[in-house]
Amino acid sequence: MFWKQSTTGVNTKEVKAILDEKKAKMKLSLKACAHCTLCAESCFLFMGRNKDPKYMPSYKFLNSVGVLYKKKGKVDRLDLGEMRDLIWERCVLCTRCYCPVGIDIPDMIALARRVCRSQGVYPQYERD
Amino acid sequence: MVKAERKPIEEIKDAINGYEKVLVTGCGGCVSVCLVGGQREVNELNAQLNIYLKNENIEKQLDGYTVERQCNDQFLEELEPKIDNYDCLLSMACGAGVQNLAKRFPKIPVFPVVNTVSIGIDKDIGMYEERCRACGHCVLGYTGGICPVTRCSKGLFNGPCGGTNNECCEVSQEIPCAWLDIFNRLKAQDRLDDIKKIYVPMEWHNQTPRTIIQEPYEKRYSV
Amino acid sequence: MDSSNSFFWTFAYDFIRGPMVWAAFIVFFAGTLFQVFRLLSFTKEQPISKLTPGPGRFIPKKADDKGKKDWVMWLKLSIAGVNPFMTIVSTIFHVLLIVMPIFVLGHNILLDNSFGVSFFSLSESVSDFLTIIVILCVAVFLYRRLFLDRVKAITTWSDYLFLSLAAAPFVTGFFAYHQVFENYRLIISLHILSGELMLMAVPFTKFVHMIYSVIIRLTVVSEYSLGRGNRTW
Repeated sequence: MFWKQSTTGVNTKEVKAILDEKKAKMKLSLKACAHCTLCAESCFLFMGRNKDPKYMPSYKFLNSVGVLYKKKGKVDRLDLGEMRDLIWERCVLCTRCYCPVGIDIPDMIALARRVCRSQGVYPQYERD
Repeated sequence: MVKAERKPIEEIKDAINGYEKVLVTGCGGCVSVCLVGGQREVNELNAQLNIYLKNENIEKQLDGYTVERQCNDQFLEELEPKIDNYDCLLSMACGAGVQNLAKRFPKIPVFPVVNTVSIGIDKDIGMYEERCRACGHCVLGYTGGICPVTRCSKGLFNGPCGGTNNECCEVSQEIPCAWLDIFNRLKAQDRLDDIKKIYVPMEWHNQTPRTIIQEPYEKRYSV
Repeated sequence: MDSSNSFFWTFAYDFIRGPMVWAAFIVFFAGTLFQVFRLLSFTKEQPISKLTPGPGRFIPKKADDKGKKDWVMWLKLSIAGVNPFMTIVSTIFHVLLIVMPIFVLGHNILLDNSFGVSFFSLSESVSDFLTIIVILCVAVFLYRRLFLDRVKAITTWSDYLFLSLAAAPFVTGFFAYHQVFENYRLIISLHILSGELMLMAVPFTKFVHMIYSVIIRLTVVSEYSLGRGNRTW
């Protein structure tokens, strides 16, 4: 890329350190995902939300953990915000996703949540 | 989280006897995690019931739908447009979910599909062990993180009874004595003073349904 | 100019028929072994605890509630019931992808010429038919990638690359057998080359899902594990 992404407000070193902990498993799992979409129907949110592809388990982990590893942790607040919507609003971590290849999808979502939390990004519930 | 077990199929068959259109509602919360009330179990139950109905030559319409959590009205909203098409609901949620569903749609009979058993931990896939009785009076702080209400057969608060039997409970040689475990853990942490005080017996005020309000929301609900 | 006569092409042809075949097989087998052990190193054994029913243990089910495992029901509730078309297409594709190259007559003749051993061979017409089936399966995958929203949502350029790479040996093999193009030598070279590239790619690229799925689903315990599964991540 010709332009450098601004990572202000994100402790990229901390993010990288978390990513490195599970790097081998995660990178191999991301590589092993054949993008087949057979996981879709196992997500009850996908079924209940007009089969919107954004609710597919694979869509959720590819666009959270996938992006984190692709950018080697150098993400900005906007990236993390998008991830937050994906991994909290569109996933309840019921841990029931099916993957024909056997990818541990809940673990990936949990890792993305951990990275987001470490940067203070998590769902804000209404408080008075 | 809340752990539950499926009721015997006979009981479920009896429940829907006489109702033509049945909606099986799954819950994506705790019962989904403990593999008893999620979308997959909804499909499984419907498949089992369909085989039975076919064998008995009974005509029924069985559908399934899973919501995020049945214990929250917000997530029951999406059932609203569907509900008029059904004669009864089967709920795969825990006791709280079933009641919330029944209250939200008071005109339509709601039947439970699972027996809510405990609040427990995930030991292994499909194996869950009770850890908490939701007594509303947590003493884990001074018992070294071992619950005497759940683990001790008598729910004692001030040390073991006289029935301890070779490190086990007098109820069974299979059950380790909770108070021995509490003692050993506190000893290892050098905290035996914690159990030298006498604690008053439990006020069993869980005889009426309790409502809890999380601390940040107290103001919101205070009169 | 007839390119197959040039020095370069002769050299290239000899190279992909000779040393590169060896390289491909060595990379494939060594890489596969490496990934198998790597995957096993990511997981650890977890003995399955045995429990007898009793007080404080677990509530045994009533006898009438326990039935023999209903395999038809199991299949219905698995991916085969959820998405039967893709299950069938995908299964056929993967089985043929692995089995076909071993039992094609041409490959066995080469084996026989080189080492004096060979496997059972499929008749040429059967091979031809099965090749068409594989190409049709690829067409189904391609159609999904191009036109289904849910597949489009997560498709990247590499998916097309690897789909082409998986299809290439079959398409070129089909063309070579039917001598569709005049330049047989070029087509058969492409056939050999694509086969070799694919073999070498298996352990290290997206194709690793073939190794991953076998190892993980057979060993790691999960709701969907095949067999009992006595390992965890």
